[in-house]
Amino acid sequence: MDWMIGFAILIVKLGVVLVGLLLLAAYLVLLERKFLGRLQIRYGPNRAGKFGLLQPLADTIKMLTKEDIVPEAADRVLFLLAPAVVAAEALLIFAVVPFGASVTLLGKKIPLVITDLNVGLLYVFALASLGVYGVALGGWASNSKYSLLGGIRGAAQMISYELSLGLSLVPIVMLARSFSLLDIVRAQAHYPFILVQPVSFMIFFISAMAETKRIPFDLPEAENELGAGYHTEYSGMRFGLFFLGEYVNLQVFGALVAVFFLGGWRGPFLPPVVWFLIKILVISILMIWVRGTLPRLRYDQLMHLGWKVLVPLALLNIVATGFVLLIIG
Amino acid sequence: MIPENFIQSNLQGISFIGPELILTLAILLILLVGVLLPYWRHRILFTILAVAGLAGSVLPLWKLPQPAPDLTYLSNLFVWDWLTFLSKPFFAVVGVLTILLTQVTGEIDNSEYSECTILVLAVTMGMMLLVASTDLLMIYLAFETMGILSYLLVGIRARDERSGEAALKYVLYGAFTSGTMLFGFSLLFGLAGSTDLLAISQKVAFASQHPQDRLLLIVAILFFLAGLLFKTASFPFHFWCPDVYEGAPTPITAFLSVGPKAAGFVLFIRLFYPLFATGHDATIYEAVSGLDWPSILALVSAITMTLGNLAAIHQNNLKRLLAYSSIAHAGYLLMGIVSLSDLGLRSVVFYLVVYLFMNVGAFAVVAMVASAGGSEEIDSYRGLGARAPYVCVAMAIFLFSLIGLPPFAGFVGKVYLFAAVIYKKIYWLAVVAALNTVISLYYYLRIVKAMFLEKPTETIQIQVPLSSRVLLLALLVPTLGLGIYWQPLARVVSGMF
Amino acid sequence: MTDLIFNVFILLTIIPCFWVALSSNIVHAAFSLLITLFGIAGLYVLLGADFIGVIQVIVYIGGILVLIIFGVMMTQRGKLLPLSIQLPGKLFGAVLTGVILAALLLSATRTLWPVAAVLGEPQLTSAAIGDLLLGKYLIPFEIASVLLLAALIGAVLIARRSVRGE
Repeated sequence: MDWMIGFAILIVKLGVVLVGLLLLAAYLVLLERKFLGRLQIRYGPNRAGKFGLLQPLADTIKMLTKEDIVPEAADRVLFLLAPAVVAAEALLIFAVVPFGASVTLLGKKIPLVITDLNVGLLYVFALASLGVYGVALGGWASNSKYSLLGGIRGAAQMISYELSLGLSLVPIVMLARSFSLLDIVRAQAHYPFILVQPVSFMIFFISAMAETKRIPFDLPEAENELGAGYHTEYSGMRFGLFFLGEYVNLQVFGALVAVFFLGGWRGPFLPPVVWFLIKILVISILMIWVRGTLPRLRYDQLMHLGWKVLVPLALLNIVATGFVLLIIG
Repeated sequence: MIPENFIQSNLQGISFIGPELILTLAILLILLVGVLLPYWRHRILFTILAVAGLAGSVLPLWKLPQPAPDLTYLSNLFVWDWLTFLSKPFFAVVGVLTILLTQVTGEIDNSEYSECTILVLAVTMGMMLLVASTDLLMIYLAFETMGILSYLLVGIRARDERSGEAALKYVLYGAFTSGTMLFGFSLLFGLAGSTDLLAISQKVAFASQHPQDRLLLIVAILFFLAGLLFKTASFPFHFWCPDVYEGAPTPITAFLSVGPKAAGFVLFIRLFYPLFATGHDATIYEAVSGLDWPSILALVSAITMTLGNLAAIHQNNLKRLLAYSSIAHAGYLLMGIVSLSDLGLRSVVFYLVVYLFMNVGAFAVVAMVASAGGSEEIDSYRGLGARAPYVCVAMAIFLFSLIGLPPFAGFVGKVYLFAAVIYKKIYWLAVVAALNTVISLYYYLRIVKAMFLEKPTETIQIQVPLSSRVLLLALLVPTLGLGIYWQPLARVVSGMF
Repeated sequence: MTDLIFNVFILLTIIPCFWVALSSNIVHAAFSLLITLFGIAGLYVLLGADFIGVIQVIVYIGGILVLIIFGVMMTQRGKLLPLSIQLPGKLFGAVLTGVILAALLLSATRTLWPVAAVLGEPQLTSAAIGDLLLGKYLIPFEIASVLLLAALIGAVLIARRSVRGE
């Protein structure tokens, strides 16, 4: 009986998180278009519904009803699989992200996280590293030169920045003494880690933008050189899945920044979950703002930044943190 | 938390791996000089640094306590016995000779020279660690340090297809065999629940009483053999040897033929004697009951030497010829392993020392002739005796020693090996080895004949620089000296087991 | 329940292996390897080695296999050339494989493996692994880093060649 209740709670949590994520992803698209429009002194979408609020619905219907084209020379199995990998990987990361401490419902304590893994942080990296496959295989399977170039660029870029992404979090683990995301949030009871680890935050933020392949790191899909890069040949809902993956990833990294650096769900006055959403939104808006401001990097600049700036900086940061921790004791 | 006394014992143990630490420092120093001081990138500087590192690595050995078979350190990962104590200088000498040979022959470009010295030092470090390890985990790590970096050494020569092909073949064979060996390790770990050789040997002695467990032990032994026979270039894992030896730069070939090969034989002693043999009395061992691995190895030994020698007959490329000769010598050396006695183990170590000088010597001559304007083909050697008498006499001495003719060092080494098998009454193997020596006479003498008795087909002038001559002299002295006055080495070696 | 999941992971590990070995499309082979490696990670987790399981995914799937696929993507498309192995060679290979398989199966089932008495709650492994890496296995850990450094130097050397060869 007990495990059935546990199972039911799990299913409910999964459902709520999934629906929430998809809704938020849809409206992030709208937010991006609106905000970007404002930055470029345009209106952005404003036809469907008041302020364009029904635009995401219209987009979804459009994508679902479009013809699903598979190029004749494509590698069918991998072509169909690749978008699913991207979307699934992004959604699965949320299994370990804590939204709040815990709520008591009908006399039962329910932690607001789908599952608190002891190795949660490593799990996040494991899944993030799977994201490469969607890009690389999608690009390869399309059997198009643009796609292949995009896929290769994407794979190289994601491997390079995964390194600085991982290294930037080592100091966080050193401070929190745990890989569990819940413990990391708990360790920030007195102050958020962004105050003591600004360098780490910076490296993580930049690497996260590169991992999500957003401007100024959008070389894999650079539309004015490669069409749309690795998803040039995709149409309909398969393209939609790539699109969805990108915006879920935006939320993933927003949530991770909140968990690792901004104290997770903590905040005054408002309930924890609301604070968490606010933090995700702030990070997302910051990323959109960067998109509206910066030009795309050249390929050598991208590699230079990753390998010669961020990685050594992250290593130095680890050593420095170690020294400080040793002195403080 | 890590307890305080643990840290103390670790700190004490560190002094035992002083040679490896010094080598690591030398590697870092060469790396930094190569990167930070680009105008200092002269060969001679890197040679001096590397040789100094290797020489310095031997110094701490004499400040350490007396070796003893049960003196383990660093959480029982390593043992400090006479075999360890003597192997470390041996590998340092191998490294020094290789570095000097690369310096004098110029087969490796200046742009790759510093990296080459780094890799040689790192492989040497791996070999030093390998012989000291008494833990499966450490053994495998050191084995791979030696292996992976020697694949890179083989492929180091830029823009040379043969070098690349050789490296690829070496990698493929190496990956397969070391993976097989690792699988064997995992089986033993599963049986004993420990990676410590001592703990495993107790469990093996117990398990071999049970017929159910015996099959597992046999499988484990066969899987170990894959890795070891590969490193020592023995049948049936010898196919890579001629191609790799031919394609690699000659100094690296010389290095591979004495360094990792010797490490492979020491690993034979390290693995098989504690695990699958029991000391009957002080000097004789017995195979663990029910596992007749010495007979298998005796067969492997006979096939290896016969194959190597027969294939060598037709070779016209000297590096290929020496590669097959190296396979044959692996067969001779295995005789010492199968004889299951202290005499056998001593003779293996003795022969390895002798083999180091004569084999590096032969490869050194090949490298010198090739870099002085000749080639590696036997045609280049026709009539060479008149034009470059010093080099050719040296070559003749190395070859006579490889055959095992008195009064050269190879003769004494072979006598020991033969004595070991005859002492154990494995007469058929002794007969096979004797027949093989006769076969080998033919192809070694073919080179000597070409050098001294045939008319030259090419009219190139061979100019061997002074530095090369000095290096050859350094190799000639032990090859001759140990043939006449071998008692000191024999005394040192007999202290080991 | 756990047994069922365990068996699913075993099948996930083994079945794609056939595809890896038999597929004539090299990208498909690499992709099948992904499933195999993922199955192994699942086995680790079910055996209570959560840390190793996740590291397996990060290192093998996220690192090594990406490099393999990256390399494969650069090579020619289409089917691989069929290997021309003669019948005696094939026969010899089949017999050898069969013998090894039989020996392994027999030894796996017959051997008296030491079995831990009680399997309690799975312990958290990351802290213990950390202690061992900085304690008993500190020296191997450091030696591995020297090996990686030297391998890195060698890899750069080999990669640099093709750039200069232009």
